[in-house]
Amino acid sequence: MTKEEFAMVADRLVIRNFDKKQLLVKAGEVEEYLNFTVKGLTRMYFYKNKTEVITNIAKEGEIISSSSSFLSSSPSNYYVETLEPSTFLSISRQQLEQAYKESPSIERLGRLMTTHFVLQKEEWELECMRLDTKERFLRFVGNNPELLLRVPQKYLASYLNMKPETFSRLKHLLRKRTPVFR
Amino acid sequence: MTRHEFHQLEPYFEIREFEKKVKVINAGEVERYLNVIAWGLVRKYLPVRNREITVQLASEGHIIHSELSFHYRVPSRAVVETIEPSVFLSISYDSLEQLYERFPKVERLGRLMISDLFIKKDNRYFDQLRKTTRERFLEYVKTHPQMLQRVPQKFIASYLNIKPETFSRLKHLMRPKRGVKD
Repeated sequence: MTKEEFAMVADRLVIRNFDKKQLLVKAGEVEEYLNFTVKGLTRMYFYKNKTEVITNIAKEGEIISSSSSFLSSSPSNYYVETLEPSTFLSISRQQLEQAYKESPSIERLGRLMTTHFVLQKEEWELECMRLDTKERFLRFVGNNPELLLRVPQKYLASYLNMKPETFSRLKHLLRKRTPVFR
Repeated sequence: MTRHEFHQLEPYFEIREFEKKVKVINAGEVERYLNVIAWGLVRKYLPVRNREITVQLASEGHIIHSELSFHYRVPSRAVVETIEPSVFLSISYDSLEQLYERFPKVERLGRLMISDLFIKKDNRYFDQLRKTTRERFLEYVKTHPQMLQRVPQKFIASYLNIKPETFSRLKHLMRPKRGVKD
């Protein structure tokens, strides 16, 4: 991508700030934005009966959006809500469509980003099938150790599709073997 | 896309034929191809502790391959296997890259196809998490009546994450309510 092309995208971005526990989009609404997380933490969830089921947690450097709704312009199945005060670099669907028209290399960027969404979903889905509860837990905390401190446990448990009690129990696996003296 | 442009793409594709029950790609191999099914019926599954979890059932017009392996160039965890004798229109990883390089217009086609794939994947994922067994069954048989004739029940049951016994029992729901006279 050239500098000019980068500028074409950058000009279309908006900075959006949210307090914690603010909704970016509700189920039933159409997602208008793709949000790149500059700062903060966001979760995506839906209600199964009256229970929240978390399907995504995004931190700095990650994209969060009700992507399927964004791509299809149909109502979102999910809620997207901040867990911490957050800052996003966002682009609206309309602006993104305009940018695609301007250059094939922006279109290429869009293709690669969408491919990334697909692969991320595929990987998550296959991992949920392939790994047992303990393996899922260890893999997740291994990859995201800081989230253990930032995200309420009940949310992490929901995301990993396990009971909160199971999650608490598995935390013992993380304790160091050697005793810590204070 | 014009007819002429379409013809320019032809040399990039290969026609590949397979007998039934042939592993088009096995676990541990690196996926070289993206396949469009011209003819036939194919499933993708994940071998997990002596079980096979069906993750995709694809017929004419659908795309099937081991996506993660194809894009990341890593050994596949999934197996793609024909159910019926099948003919694929296949494009290799290298050819696809060349195609994108030579024909920038294809970026758009690629992006839209991948968006569509993501939307389908997300819908399936959402249904698996939110819907009951019975709802998943009824919806699938309503939208895929021909698959019920062509695909062994155990594969459909696995795809819908329903026990084979439950699947058999649910088939009663498909019987017409009134008696049919012969």
